[in-house]
Amino acid sequence: MKFAKKRANSSAAIPTSSMSDIIFILLLFFMVTTTLREVDVLVQYSLPEAKAIEKIENKRLVSYLWIGRDERIQLNDAIVKLEEVQDIMYNKRVSLPNVIVSLRIDKNSSMGIVTDVQQKLRRADARRINYSTLLAP
Amino acid sequence: MVKLKKKQRPNPEIPTSSMSDISFLLLLFFLVSTVIDVDTGIGLTLPEYIPIEQQEVVPLSKDRLAALLINENGDVLLNGDIISIPQVQKNLVEKITKKIGQPKTKKLVVSVKVDRKTNYNLYIQALDQVKGAYFEVRETYAKTKYGKKVIELDERETNDLRDEIPIIISIAEPEQVKK
Repeated sequence: MKFAKKRANSSAAIPTSSMSDIIFILLLFFMVTTTLREVDVLVQYSLPEAKAIEKIENKRLVSYLWIGRDERIQLNDAIVKLEEVQDIMYNKRVSLPNVIVSLRIDKNSSMGIVTDVQQKLRRADARRINYSTLLAP
Repeated sequence: MVKLKKKQRPNPEIPTSSMSDISFLLLLFFLVSTVIDVDTGIGLTLPEYIPIEQQEVVPLSKDRLAALLINENGDVLLNGDIISIPQVQKNLVEKITKKIGQPKTKKLVVSVKVDRKTNYNLYIQALDQVKGAYFEVRETYAKTKYGKKVIELDERETNDLRDEIPIIISIAEPEQVKK
């Protein structure tokens, strides 16, 4: 007796036409869910320019400090008073020992306020700083 | 009458199996080419905070010191001579180069001192010149000794470079001005 070989009669191809849609949706999903830790900058400032500059290699270590045109100080995400800088940075340094403070200071500021902030940073022992500048053409 | 046979047309189909590969490549391309704005700036390490009572005065011989003074009017003094900011780099390059090969305790110390009313931009320009001078000396040193650029040096050579040309910038505290 001859047995007919049992075979599925549907084709074995995987439908690939919708694969691109799936991947696009994947792409969109990642685009939407990725947040580039944005901080609202509440002070107005324009950076000075310099040539001999270096990159900050490790972004995770960076704390940002802005000094605006009106001499207001913003630390990371809030406006702070000069007296508060020391405590906040000290706590930061305890949790993150090799923190780098990126100073984004308006180019028309006077050195007085800059020095005051630096003194606070020294007292908080957050001594690695980086004067944020643009690359001079 | 001859019966004309209708030509059998193949089913019009666009090959979509490679579409996913294309979109993957697109995704990868954007992933690789996106630059999330990099922080650039002049790096510095502030001196340790020591209360006034515990401060000691360490005498520094005059030939080790390059004192850069910027006052509120934007005048720049380098070791007592009036100088314009773009000249600072050239001046310092000579001084730093002279110190190569000398022991650690004899290296140049650049002291930057400003007034409370000095413009911040000016200070950055000056600091830029100082850093530029150091980078220039390091670059020439790497080229003459190893025939490479600074970034191409291996770890041992980089350490040697750092020992020979340490960047010592002292940010002096401005004198207290009565308000």
